[in-house]
Amino acid sequence: MSNWNILWKFGGILLLAYVILRGFCTPLQPGLVEATPDRLGPGPATLELMAVGRPFAEEGSSLEGYRLILRSGTDLITTNLTGVSPHGVQAEATIPDRLPSPALDAFLLPPSSGTLFLGNAFFVEGAATGTIPVELASKAPDETIPDLGFSFPFQPNIMESIRNLLWHVPMWFAMFFVMGIGFVASLMQLRTDAVNWDHRAEAAVRTGLVFGILGLATGSLWARWTWGAWWVSDPQLNGALVTVLLYTGYLILRAAMGEDERVGRIAAVYNVFAFVMLVILLMVLPRYTDSLHPGKDGNPGFNSYDLDNSLRAVFYPAVIGWGALCYWMYTLRLRINRMEHRLLTQ
Amino acid sequence: MNFSMNLILFLNNLEGFFFGSGKAHVVTGVAMIILGGIAFSLWRMDRRLTRIENERNDNPS
Repeated sequence: MSNWNILWKFGGILLLAYVILRGFCTPLQPGLVEATPDRLGPGPATLELMAVGRPFAEEGSSLEGYRLILRSGTDLITTNLTGVSPHGVQAEATIPDRLPSPALDAFLLPPSSGTLFLGNAFFVEGAATGTIPVELASKAPDETIPDLGFSFPFQPNIMESIRNLLWHVPMWFAMFFVMGIGFVASLMQLRTDAVNWDHRAEAAVRTGLVFGILGLATGSLWARWTWGAWWVSDPQLNGALVTVLLYTGYLILRAAMGEDERVGRIAAVYNVFAFVMLVILLMVLPRYTDSLHPGKDGNPGFNSYDLDNSLRAVFYPAVIGWGALCYWMYTLRLRINRMEHRLLTQ
Repeated sequence: MNFSMNLILFLNNLEGFFFGSGKAHVVTGVAMIILGGIAFSLWRMDRRLTRIENERNDNPS
């Protein structure tokens, strides 16, 4: 192997090793997940909130700098923190007998971890509608700049499974990349009728299918944890499945035609059609419909709400690493195709 | 608090898996071994192909 070949092939593997180490060993930012009791009445109450992810306090640390604020409508209610643990806080509060809304949101403000939020944390029964008394009101917290360290963002429902972003999405990118190579190869095959382009197209589709199936599997696993089902009838998911089936059809077509000399041209026409369908099914149609899948419904892709800088520092190497691995597999398959052809035509 | 913590771990095994238990390092180790295996098999296939290609180029018949 030449130096350049060693560089990109093993560079890709090293990038993936970095992605695995960083992806699994980076802690999650803290996030509130549970509040007890979930139902309250007016008067004194003892509240507990539980968090997951990176600990926001050390065992036995003091309460200094910590605040817990409840919000009803636009009114803020003060609380008195009584205990802080690495993944939880306890507080005493007096629930007013008049509230703008019976649903209370909780804002926990640790001194260094940013604001932790839990919507509809508590529900108050038996309170009248109105503004809260001044003596129970809390002033808005000062703006602080959190020191989160290198940690992945906490997203409700997704939580620890956010690490799957480093596998699922780059696998689809790799599939797009190599299917794009196959598309160009098929166009060139139709233009020149050279068997070399047919070999490229076939190798690209075979490799792309591996990554497509891996993308479906990781997506299905992710759906199970976040949406509660292995598969939901969603335009994005169904489109992905249809795409994989279309490309499987390409291989079946080739196998069915056997040694027919027209196989190259017919397969090339099919491959051009399949790639156009890939773009329509995965990139166009899902954006015209509501979807559980992120990046859809008019949103062209990832934005600041989906990715933060720490995630980007691992996500981009993952895209390059998976792309390099995919291209390596493609070149191996291409060389096998060429060798088979040479053996058969000698 | 302990009850609700246990309930969350029971309802969502993935959270429990990573929840300060050090299991993430086991997952990392397994993933690294799988990646190493894939890299080794691709490298071996690459070398074999190169050898066969060289042999055929040196001796086309």
